[in-house]
Amino acid sequence: MVAFRLPANSRIDRSGRVFKAAPGAKDVRTFRIYRFDPESNDNPRIDTFEIDMATCGPMVLDVLIKVKNEIDPTLTFRRSCREGICGSCAMNIDGINTLACTCACSGLGAEVRIYPLPHMPVIKDLVPDLTNFYAQYASIRPWLQTRTPAPPDRERLQSKEEQEKINRPSACILCACCSASCPSYWWNSDRYLGPAALLQAYRWLVDSRDEATGERLDALDDAFRLYRCHTILNCTEACPKDLNPALTIAEIKKMLAEREH
Amino acid sequence: MSLRTPLGRFLGLGATHHAVGHWVAQRLGAVALVPLTLWFLVSLLALPAFDYATLSGWAGRPWNAVLLLSLVLALAHHSWLGVQVVVEDYVHDRGAKFAALIVLQLAHVLLAVAGVFAVLKIAFGSFA
Repeated sequence: MVAFRLPANSRIDRSGRVFKAAPGAKDVRTFRIYRFDPESNDNPRIDTFEIDMATCGPMVLDVLIKVKNEIDPTLTFRRSCREGICGSCAMNIDGINTLACTCACSGLGAEVRIYPLPHMPVIKDLVPDLTNFYAQYASIRPWLQTRTPAPPDRERLQSKEEQEKINRPSACILCACCSASCPSYWWNSDRYLGPAALLQAYRWLVDSRDEATGERLDALDDAFRLYRCHTILNCTEACPKDLNPALTIAEIKKMLAEREH
Repeated sequence: MSLRTPLGRFLGLGATHHAVGHWVAQRLGAVALVPLTLWFLVSLLALPAFDYATLSGWAGRPWNAVLLLSLVLALAHHSWLGVQVVVEDYVHDRGAKFAALIVLQLAHVLLAVAGVFAVLKIAFGSFA
């Protein structure tokens, strides 16, 4: 839905709590973090944490863990692998969707703003509700579909060149940084698949072992699911894995146009 | 309140189909409009004067009329396809969306017919 203004109960109270660094701290960096507690009736607020970077790890995730361990244990965020492979800690850092675990504080300004992924319902603090995002992923049937039975004595074979086609799109970790950066996804995520799900749709379209290419394209020949992409390219800009969802969406459009003639 | 699953909700009424035709038509129109618009501007600017007699004489010549008709039709069609996408992007109230799409489509048809009629009237004016 188009919403240029936040609903009244989502507007942010800028006068949140402030946690000063200990006196004598040498390398202080300020973090302004979005907080929302679903159990209170309060609007979201911005809390300010001054962190002595001399006593903290280098990444934004290190800062969040330090805040949770030492300052405010109620701070809520998702994290797991801390090495950019699980996609849990996707959030908006200084206006850019990225992974907190691979985002170095040294590359950011003296004051760092940390928000949840934009235009998603917030469950608590930095945790967005990804239910619809996962439903979209499920809708593209992200599994091998075949009519030919598997060979009895070995796996389904693929040439090296065929494997290389799915190599890159398979590296997507479904962190949702791309989809949550896409204005078209913001306005129409109820019907538009978004770059992440479309990248995965492409991954199965170009899989040489898959035999449902036609059915997959049929499902994508939709004014919203695929064609809400207006090549804004925020997705490619945001991807923390350096993938190119926009290019794969263009490839899907080309496949659909190709089979018309 | 709905207890529908998230997947069921997203799949909704299913794929619209025919979307690729819309996309191809929009791009074909854009490609056609590049030479047509250039031709239109260059030939207009090359005219010695901009009075009624010169302009209607220019527009009435057979190839000029054919290209003008193509320009009018391509422009109206391309504009309709683009405006349709904008409305679908931004208008989410179902009633308002359908009303806007119907009004805009009819307005584009009306403009196209008016443009075609104007060119034909000039081109065949002497026979009327």
